Amino acid sequence: MNTLITRGIQALMVAVLIGAATFAMMRALPGDAAYRIAAGRYGYDNVDTAAADAVREELGLGGPALPAFLTWLGDLLRLDFGTSLVTGQPVIEEIGHQLGASMALAGVAVLLSLILGPPLGILAGLRPGGVLDRVLLVVSTGLKAVPQFLMALILILILSVQFRLLPAAGHGEARHFILPSLALALGLAAVNARIARDAMARIGAMPFYSFAQWKGLSPRQTLLRHGLRNVSVPLLTYLGLQFVTLVEGVVVVEAVFGWPGIGHALVHAIFSRDVPMVQGTALCLGLSFVLVNAIIDLVTQRIDPRRAA
Amino acid sequence: MSLLKAEDITVSQGDTPILHPVSLHLEPGEPLVILGETGSGKSLLAQAIMGTLPRDLAARGRVALGDRLLDAARPDGFRPLWGRQIAVLPQEPWLSLDPLMQAERQVTETHRLVRGLGTTEARVQAAADFDHLGLTGAGHRYPHELSGGMAQRAAIAAARAGGARIVIADEPTKGLDAARRDEVADLLLAELARGGGLLVITHDLALARRVGGRMIVLREGRVVETGPTKTVMDAPTQTYTRDLIAADPDNWAARDRQTAGAPVLTATGLAADRGGAQLFSDLSFDLAEGRILGVTGPSGCGKSTLGDVVLGLVPPSAGRVKRSEGLAPTAFQKLYQDPVAAFPRHRTLKGTLEDVARRHGQTQDRIDALMHRLGLAPVLLLRKPDAVSGGELQRLALLRLLLVRPKFIFADEPTSRLDPITQKHVIDLLCETAATEGCAIMLISHDPALVARTADQMLSLDPAAPNLDVTPTRVAGALQ
Amino acid sequence: MTDTVMIPRPAGHAVRWTGAALVAAVLVLALIGPLAVPGDPFAQSLLKALSGPEAGAPLGYDHLGRSIFHRLAHALRLSPTIALAAVLTAGLAGLVLGTFAAARGGWTDRVLITLADALLALPGLLLVLIMLAIVPGTALGFWAGLSLVLWVEFFRLTRATTRETLASPAVQATRLLGFGPTYVFRTHIWPEIAPMMLTAAAFGTATAIMAIAALGFVHVGMRAPTPELGLMMVELLPYWREAPLALLSPVIATFALLLGLTLLAGSRET
Repeated sequence: MNTLITRGIQALMVAVLIGAATFAMMRALPGDAAYRIAAGRYGYDNVDTAAADAVREELGLGGPALPAFLTWLGDLLRLDFGTSLVTGQPVIEEIGHQLGASMALAGVAVLLSLILGPPLGILAGLRPGGVLDRVLLVVSTGLKAVPQFLMALILILILSVQFRLLPAAGHGEARHFILPSLALALGLAAVNARIARDAMARIGAMPFYSFAQWKGLSPRQTLLRHGLRNVSVPLLTYLGLQFVTLVEGVVVVEAVFGWPGIGHALVHAIFSRDVPMVQGTALCLGLSFVLVNAIIDLVTQRIDPRRAA
Repeated sequence: MSLLKAEDITVSQGDTPILHPVSLHLEPGEPLVILGETGSGKSLLAQAIMGTLPRDLAARGRVALGDRLLDAARPDGFRPLWGRQIAVLPQEPWLSLDPLMQAERQVTETHRLVRGLGTTEARVQAAADFDHLGLTGAGHRYPHELSGGMAQRAAIAAARAGGARIVIADEPTKGLDAARRDEVADLLLAELARGGGLLVITHDLALARRVGGRMIVLREGRVVETGPTKTVMDAPTQTYTRDLIAADPDNWAARDRQTAGAPVLTATGLAADRGGAQLFSDLSFDLAEGRILGVTGPSGCGKSTLGDVVLGLVPPSAGRVKRSEGLAPTAFQKLYQDPVAAFPRHRTLKGTLEDVARRHGQTQDRIDALMHRLGLAPVLLLRKPDAVSGGELQRLALLRLLLVRPKFIFADEPTSRLDPITQKHVIDLLCETAATEGCAIMLISHDPALVARTADQMLSLDPAAPNLDVTPTRVAGALQ
Repeated sequence: MTDTVMIPRPAGHAVRWTGAALVAAVLVLALIGPLAVPGDPFAQSLLKALSGPEAGAPLGYDHLGRSIFHRLAHALRLSPTIALAAVLTAGLAGLVLGTFAAARGGWTDRVLITLADALLALPGLLLVLIMLAIVPGTALGFWAGLSLVLWVEFFRLTRATTRETLASPAVQATRLLGFGPTYVFRTHIWPEIAPMMLTAAAFGTATAIMAIAALGFVHVGMRAPTPELGLMMVELLPYWREAPLALLSPVIATFALLLGLTLLAGSRET
């Protein structure tokens, strides 16, 4: 219960921060913001001074900053994002279209990273200092130093341009998933593997882990019954924090591969100063972080009763 | 026929031998105690016999278990014996249970996977074990919901579920108070009564005496003395053993009662609670210069909290502590259980002591004089806290306090982490300080014998209603 | 959630030295390179477009006939400068606020940690993008945005360490002995924080350089014709087959710089 309240406060703060940032962005827009918003709402052909004035009145754009900000924040908290300045469509609908594509990409990437990273990390952590541990350290350090866009670039060069195995852009078919999700997954897997390795090494050195073997359990039984469950708690917690990295990666990788998701839309919205869209997508990303972490809180509390206390 | 026979066991790190050849044998029904201080190699000996040495240490020697012959140099050969032939009792039971698994399931899995019982049978057997050990109804608790004593019994049940006849207990009373210590000893002896073998590794003389049987005394990796426990403890032939036994608080001469000097503090009607539960209430006492107030009680009864209340670090929930007038704000000081944790860990001891001396207008001469008086070598000052032995660092901690010229010292289990001989030395110095510096001391210890022979006044914080633990005699009785 | 702080673990000496050497090598190229081989990163000569290395342009020419070497050197000064400025600002803010929150506790602490937690939920790139839209001037925008993102890590580290240290028996003993907050900070808190700050600073610098390059790569960061690592890569990507060296130069330099910083930082444990 407590955690949910904390997460609720976090969600509220996220909304306020995004509201403040986008409000500042709005105020910093060059030219007449009210005119542009009115144009976004009614189309450029139907805008006249009266419409612009109405918008100015409504949002308090002309007046003092504080009441205007409160109006702005009020709209945001009622989840009233308005319409896109570019397409004129309601922001909420636009996001609804894009969210699915992003979630599919992120889901595949996370799944891929979980298949690659933690198993290797746990194997390495069972024998700290062993061959696998040292190899994994080198590989994961190298991978961590490669930002997602660079990973995307390298994958495009090798798999798409040089060997023409996979398409560098496009979407809709399964093969279109491979490059973008791989670009995301490799970096995530490198970090997951390190976290799993450190957790496993730490847990393997704990008295209860030795004691389970002294009771007569085989190494395999000990790992399955006492190792994995204990490793999963720090791993899940870290995955929750990693979600931000994933979202950043989605933004960049979508932009690179032209993937029609929320990250791509965000970059476009920033580029064309489409403030309502920026606000809507940013809130969506921020709140999904809070949601994912709230779920992880509840799951880890079920696994580890000490956390519920 | 011996249950276990180990011959010429040695342990070395690289080319450096750290345990010289030791041979031992374990007979059914006769416990064997290996006694030694920290660094004597007693735990290494046990680990070599079990095949659980850390990777960087190498063992040699032969171990015969029934009709099996094993080579200590090849630890993998021991693995099949764990749980089935040899049961190992953990040092700290709380840390030995999987924190994410209910206590009884940790016993059930041993019955099922090691002894090979069916799922239902294993569950029934584990529940029966818990009933026998007075843990009825505690099976569904997680380890963090068990008291120390309950965790100890759950761990014993888990270790023994595989059906091993030989029990090896490495420091089974580490961190336990006197009542718990006897409980553990009785539990171990109850195991023995089933016709098994028992090997106890300890530095605790009281435990050794209670376990009885035969004894091997180790010092710095060598055997000092062997013989029946009673004979060795009553009439030791070697100087070291004599010193060790003389250092046991049970054998200390009582300190002469000191006459009280000027009053230092008066406490009236003190009470404190932790997490809503009352720790103690209505405590009143006063302390005068030169006097030692001993405080005893089982762990968790609020001994340390009482000290912190007197120091003013924790507010009491009722009552007050009145300091005598004219005392400096720094006149009340504290000596910590773990001296390493009480020093700035990145600074040399010299730096720390000079800072204190400068702050309180003392000269280097005073540091030198105290170093000499406390028997400390000047070279120690150049080190950082973690590079000095526990006994030396505790004396340096005392020195640091004396630079402030305190009138009251709260000594919070100051010797519980020290070996017996060092413990006696530090307590002697503390008593001497009370007399020479004219300061009042509040000495907390879980060891009633130590307090009884040191303090002028005693205060016992035994709570009226103890927790769920049953008495050791009942547990032992239930097992037979 | 506020308890999950990654404690940086200093790397081994050899690893750190390797990292430092890599970073130093890249910086030498950036700072000394143009002095050894003078040239202009902006000068175009379309005749030389995509041609190979020569004495005046050791890494060849790009699609507009500008010297890759000089553009790279310029880019390798730009991002690290912005990154360093942001890390210094963020480190100082995080240190001050973190110690303050830990020492004061109560509402001060609660407000600051709530703010930090909320920022943690937002992708750093998003904040940087928004700041870029608010603050006039791209470099200034990057500095403001990155500072806003990076202070959280310094804050959380400092706060967690300071809290733990202040609750330790060592500090209690020091206070009983009559010492004040300045002495406690100097002898207890700072020695614990300092090595972590160094590690966090190296990570922060790497994060900042990555962010600048990533946004440049997707055309929302530095604007052409400014030589910037990400921007150079995306500009040269279409000419991969004709001039692989042209594209590889910024790729390798970026990787070397980031790898060096990662090694310098060491690894982290949960």
